[in-house]
Amino acid sequence: MASNPMEQFTVKPLIEAPLFELGGHPIYFTNQALLMVLVTVLSASFLTLVVKPGRLVPTRGQSVAELSYKFVGDMIHSTTGADGMKFFPFIFTLFIFVLCSNFFGLIPGGFTVTSQIAVTFALAALVMLTVLGVGFARHGIGFLKLFVPHAPWYLLILLIPIEVISFLTRPISLSVRLFANMLAGHTMLVVFAGFVVSLGAAGGLLSGLAVAPLLLMVGIFLLELLVAFLQAYVFSVLTCIYLNEALHLHDHH
Amino acid sequence: MAPDPDRLRDLGSRLDKLQATQAARYKKPPPSQLGIAGRFATELVAALIVGGGLGWGIDWLFGRFLFNTFPVFMLVFVVLGAAAGILNVMRAAKEINAEIARARSDEEK
Repeated sequence: MASNPMEQFTVKPLIEAPLFELGGHPIYFTNQALLMVLVTVLSASFLTLVVKPGRLVPTRGQSVAELSYKFVGDMIHSTTGADGMKFFPFIFTLFIFVLCSNFFGLIPGGFTVTSQIAVTFALAALVMLTVLGVGFARHGIGFLKLFVPHAPWYLLILLIPIEVISFLTRPISLSVRLFANMLAGHTMLVVFAGFVVSLGAAGGLLSGLAVAPLLLMVGIFLLELLVAFLQAYVFSVLTCIYLNEALHLHDHH
Repeated sequence: MAPDPDRLRDLGSRLDKLQATQAARYKKPPPSQLGIAGRFATELVAALIVGGGLGWGIDWLFGRFLFNTFPVFMLVFVVLGAAAGILNVMRAAKEINAEIARARSDEEK
């Protein structure tokens, strides 16, 4: 009965037979794939279906969609300036995907896509590849100046490797932060749920004590709602900051 | 019948005022203590891993094609990674300070 708190993170195929083979590896349609499809289809159809142009008084759904557009638009504008708005579709998609995955994961019995390092690292790698592409397209080989701080030449021998490592750290810290936050929160929830069940089954006076972890769980769940939003926000705001560097080659000193 | 321009202007200014207060409310979620601690920890550890991995890779390349250097480059790059981690933490601290300062100035308005 005592359930394993890590069991919720297992990726298992929903259809026994593999869909196809890729380089000798069978590719299955897993619970993770299902959730990603659900998140993408539901969020995209919600955001497009509720908005009707030319409606003077927006409905509740349209207000939600417009507010989220405006929220992300303001975020991009304040961190990257006007020419960052070209990346609005990319950053908005990232934000909505991470946000909806986090929220879908909080539905009991669901599965959290963003608690898989493979998913978050793929997203972070996509961000960093975009940053590299934009940087080299904008500045050509001059983009490499990003790794050269203002310092005398003999210090540069030391500083350039440090800057390169610092740059390479970004996809890792970006993906680990999101993944670790979701993993920790969901593990904590299941651990406390286990307390409720085992205390409740203990009988007598101990059963009454089961209320304490239950109340704590409600609190943690509310906290997780905040974390779900906050992590999506942090992920997209950091994307904006990195894009801004590629666009304007700001040095950070 | 054309709408009264004065009333329209009044509505516009009232809307602007309301939107300004609303914007301050939903805009920047303040960074929490736990969030800041987690951010610093990931930055430090990630830089160490990247540094060590890079050094290990260089050692592997040398060992493959020239001569065995293991663990010279790995050690050097772990130290460089630690330095990069501290650099990252300092940058993150600068960002967070700026964020807090912005949140404060928003409150005062």
